[in-house]
Amino acid sequence: MPRNEAFRSLDRPTERVRIAEYAVTDDGTDLTTSGLGSCVGVALYDGDAGVGGLLHAMLPTSRPGRDQPPGKFVDEGVPALLAAMRRRGASTGRVHAKLAGGSEMFEFTSSTPVGERNVEAATAVLDELGVTVAATDVGGDRGRSLRLLGDSGTLVVRTAGGDVVEL
Amino acid sequence: MRVDIDSLSLFNRLAGEGSRHAAGALSQLSGMDIEVTVTGISLLSEADLRETFEGSEHVGVRIGLGGGLEGETLLAFDRQTMRSLLSMLLSTEPSRPFDEMDRSGVKEIGNIAVGGFVDGWADHLGVGIDLTPPTYVAAAGDGILPDDFGSKVVVGEDETESAVFLFESTLRSDANELSFSILMLPEHRTLEPLLAEQTDEGSAVSLDQLSAFDRIAREGAASAADHLTAMTGVRTALEVSKLRFVPVEDVTRYVGDDRVVGTVFGLNEGEDGYLAILFDAESAERVADAMIPMERESGVGEMEASAIKELGNVMTSGFIDGWANVLGTSIAHTPPEFVDDLGAAALDPLVNSIAVEQDHAFVVDTAIETPEKQFTCNILALPDGQRLASQLHRMDAPEADASE
Repeated sequence: MPRNEAFRSLDRPTERVRIAEYAVTDDGTDLTTSGLGSCVGVALYDGDAGVGGLLHAMLPTSRPGRDQPPGKFVDEGVPALLAAMRRRGASTGRVHAKLAGGSEMFEFTSSTPVGERNVEAATAVLDELGVTVAATDVGGDRGRSLRLLGDSGTLVVRTAGGDVVEL
Repeated sequence: MRVDIDSLSLFNRLAGEGSRHAAGALSQLSGMDIEVTVTGISLLSEADLRETFEGSEHVGVRIGLGGGLEGETLLAFDRQTMRSLLSMLLSTEPSRPFDEMDRSGVKEIGNIAVGGFVDGWADHLGVGIDLTPPTYVAAAGDGILPDDFGSKVVVGEDETESAVFLFESTLRSDANELSFSILMLPEHRTLEPLLAEQTDEGSAVSLDQLSAFDRIAREGAASAADHLTAMTGVRTALEVSKLRFVPVEDVTRYVGDDRVVGTVFGLNEGEDGYLAILFDAESAERVADAMIPMERESGVGEMEASAIKELGNVMTSGFIDGWANVLGTSIAHTPPEFVDDLGAAALDPLVNSIAVEQDHAFVVDTAIETPEKQFTCNILALPDGQRLASQLHRMDAPEADASE
């Protein structure tokens, strides 16, 4: 299946993060995730330790008592990602967060759209954990794909239309 | 035969775990990083199952299951994938065609993968599962499938309506673009007690009802396909229709990252679920070519978008009419919204709003193709699980006498 060629052509060591999952990098490997619509991507980075992490979460809050993938919910995924990064040498005080995704592509329902709630949940849980949000590219009506550069913490955000933003 | 939704969820998890075991075993064997892309339970007709194998050459193994779980498993690779796997395993290039040593390599791979796959089931069921020795199979198209599905048919008796229950996992190695699948076709008599075990009336639906729903979606799709033909002047045919039951996080994985163009709408404001009519980017352009009677520049611009939107409206009405007819009720729907985006991004708003209440989703995927492959179109129906169950309960299950 051909993936975004421009993304791939960067030709750097890369690990793909799938929906409802997260991953940690500490050796400069980039982390990518694609096809975020109303899902939210949370990138965390500790520049001193060179440890980063990327989460691709579907929903803001978990439901109790279910055996679910660790990165499915923002409220569980963000603390789990941070803990995994700390085990690899990151320190919470040095970690900065970048958020992307949470778009509202359709207007089907009158209730608050999932995308917006995802971003709110991420902001809230990061605040609780004491992690500063350094930059965001959220909302709108386009899907996004992300690449967290493992050696710098830069988050490259690309839309289906080909627009690229670096956070 | 009735199916409890919770049992389906449980079996989906078992199949998922089984696939991860199999992927782990294969990773160890080949030194490649092999992961499970999706795992799902499908209910589909024998004809549609055969159709999915058409057009490519497959190599693989069939291994029969006995003891606590009776049925048949098939590990199917396309020939090139198997060639790459074998060259890693044997450290020499496999022969053309495969010789005896290559074939025993294939069987070894099959044994390890299928062994891993059934381990989780045996643990959970607390029974032993026996494996027959692997049979090497190599064939074009559907020749790789068993000849006779007779004892595995769970719904319907006549050939066109009968359906089998299938556990299916797709595995992939990212680096080498290998992809292959594990299918398990359980015997009807072994499946029934397993699925019915925890059934309580509230959350149970019958396989007849599920199969009826599949037919509703198919009729809707057929009617949408007729409208597609009328609008483009290109003859179309329904290809494959599959009713899948998958963890919500797997739904967008089916669609992948490729760009899609089409329309999406909610049934009863999304309360009853969603429908997406999606073309791949290339197909969208060909559809625009067929609909726009003048020279146009390449790409999907405003003119193309408006043509596809109009087409989406018309196909949607067709689908809804077909659906409403069978249900005997009118279905309110939101105006279709145009989408031109990464496939997964286009679907995740729909999936996520379903995922608020459900861990698993039913997905009916119908492909429409044209004989000369000018374009293909996928119609994905994502019904709300609870509403679906209650609607199906209210509905007189057609052909209810055909099973049990």
